[in-house]
Amino acid sequence: MIELKGVRKVFGKRPAVERMNLSVPKGEIFGMLGHNGAGKSTCIGMMLGQVWPTEGEVIVCGHDVTRYRQRALEKVGAIFEAPIFYDYLSGWRNLEILSHYTAPTSAARLREVIDWVGLTGREQAAVKTYSHGMRTRLALAQALLPNPELLILDEPSDGLDPEGIHEMRHTIVRLQKELGLTILLSSHLLNEVEQLCTRIAVMQKGVKVFEGSLNDVRGEQTWVRLKTSEPEKARVQLREARLIAEERESDLFALAENAEPHQLVEFLVKRGFQVHEMTVHQATLEDFYLSLVKASAGKN
Amino acid sequence: MLWLQLRNELWKLFGKKRTYIGFLMFLLAQNLVVLIFRFSNAARGMKNTLEGNGYLPDEFISSLTIATIMLFPIAYMMLPLYVSLVGGDLVAKEAEDGTLRMILSRPISRIRLLMVKWLAGVVFSVASVLALGVFGVAFASIWFPWGGLFAFIPGELFSVFNATDGLSHYTGAHLLMAYKATTVMTLAFMFSCFNVKPAAATILALSFVFLNFILMNIPFFKDIQYWFLTYHLNLWQFMLAQPIPVTRIWESVSILTGFNLTFLLVGCTVFQLRDIKS
Repeated sequence: MIELKGVRKVFGKRPAVERMNLSVPKGEIFGMLGHNGAGKSTCIGMMLGQVWPTEGEVIVCGHDVTRYRQRALEKVGAIFEAPIFYDYLSGWRNLEILSHYTAPTSAARLREVIDWVGLTGREQAAVKTYSHGMRTRLALAQALLPNPELLILDEPSDGLDPEGIHEMRHTIVRLQKELGLTILLSSHLLNEVEQLCTRIAVMQKGVKVFEGSLNDVRGEQTWVRLKTSEPEKARVQLREARLIAEERESDLFALAENAEPHQLVEFLVKRGFQVHEMTVHQATLEDFYLSLVKASAGKN
Repeated sequence: MLWLQLRNELWKLFGKKRTYIGFLMFLLAQNLVVLIFRFSNAARGMKNTLEGNGYLPDEFISSLTIATIMLFPIAYMMLPLYVSLVGGDLVAKEAEDGTLRMILSRPISRIRLLMVKWLAGVVFSVASVLALGVFGVAFASIWFPWGGLFAFIPGELFSVFNATDGLSHYTGAHLLMAYKATTVMTLAFMFSCFNVKPAAATILALSFVFLNFILMNIPFFKDIQYWFLTYHLNLWQFMLAQPIPVTRIWESVSILTGFNLTFLLVGCTVFQLRDIKS
């Protein structure tokens, strides 16, 4: 549904996105992760024809966005971090205005979408009276009006309370299951991405540093929590023996390639350490993300 | 589809309270001028001029004449301010608020979006001038009788019409004033297409108009004053002349059309090339 080929974007002299290649297959919930200023929103801007790439090709729904923007966006809906509307107009009027930029939309379709997002009864009230959660629902409604096949969500949970975040997460799952949409989700919330997405891309300082499935993320490294009588000495010796590749929080270690958890215990016991605890730690997206960030910082 | 999009732009434009600031100020200014003429000696100079030229003042100190007198300061000062305020808002305010990003996630071309917005600006400009003309006569009629039209600018204009002809000239002047309002609005609209704040677009447009006016009035530029925008902006007052200088009006209409097309072209090009970011 989305393909970025060798995309580069420079604002003035500052590169915002470098050598970006990305592929979002149909039917997936694809997560884009990265710190503020990593280039996620610039990439989304390029996918929507709002930001022109300096180099490269951006293809959405089979069309080059730079050259055939209208055709590329015919079946695309988008939500941005802060849902902003014409506050002085009603929700209904806002939806009419925004949907008519795509095509004339019937009142029946408007009612159907308003019902789907759960705003029935409040659609005639001015948007300035809406809560943040209601605005997010209205944003979702405007994105769904043109019957999209692809939904681009740029930090949709931003500013929502925990209940709202949960609701948004539930809605995203519904969107994929009930409507069969392909969803690109840009988010800071690692647990949200972990729960929703099947594939992710991680961006750092305008460069994609990882693209793969969540299984790749989880399976990449085995982490163990190891509590010993002399943690620092044990860490040094495990390093020297090349049994661990990385460490965190003084007692959390990533096993080196081909190393097994029991080998660590054997190694330490043989050298007179008391091993109080050893548990295999399932790597989370957070672990993976932080290790990527650390590795990238190390390179710089 | 174009109609639907234009209707939506008008909803957005006329749904905002600030759109009505101009109309409100016109009402206040017009009523103030009418009351000054009614309850002071402000009309004495006009009476003397009429009498000195062999006309009966009572026939020409009318609602039409007072409405025309109040037209000059309002058309020179207030109209450009309010149309540039709206023109400067049309694109830049949406960019500032963030709604432009929402619009541009839709499959509408940037040029079409601009054209729809510009048309909404034209509707506002015409509505402002229409309100100015209708309110002017309406308020003046409360205190002054219906009668002939006397238009006088020392050294430039001296016209006396009966009521019927006066109304035709008054209407014609407003038609051309709508073109002036549209031109100033288009100038502000052009700046609005740049990556600037809405207030900056308005200020830039007004500065451009004032700069033109100042340069045009410097004796050094007297020979080339017809190259300045402001020289042509006041074409509406020629409709109050006797006889109407048709060639001069056509000349100004053509040049203002050129200015409008240039402003639109520059605005569209800049907007088409720029990146829309949050």
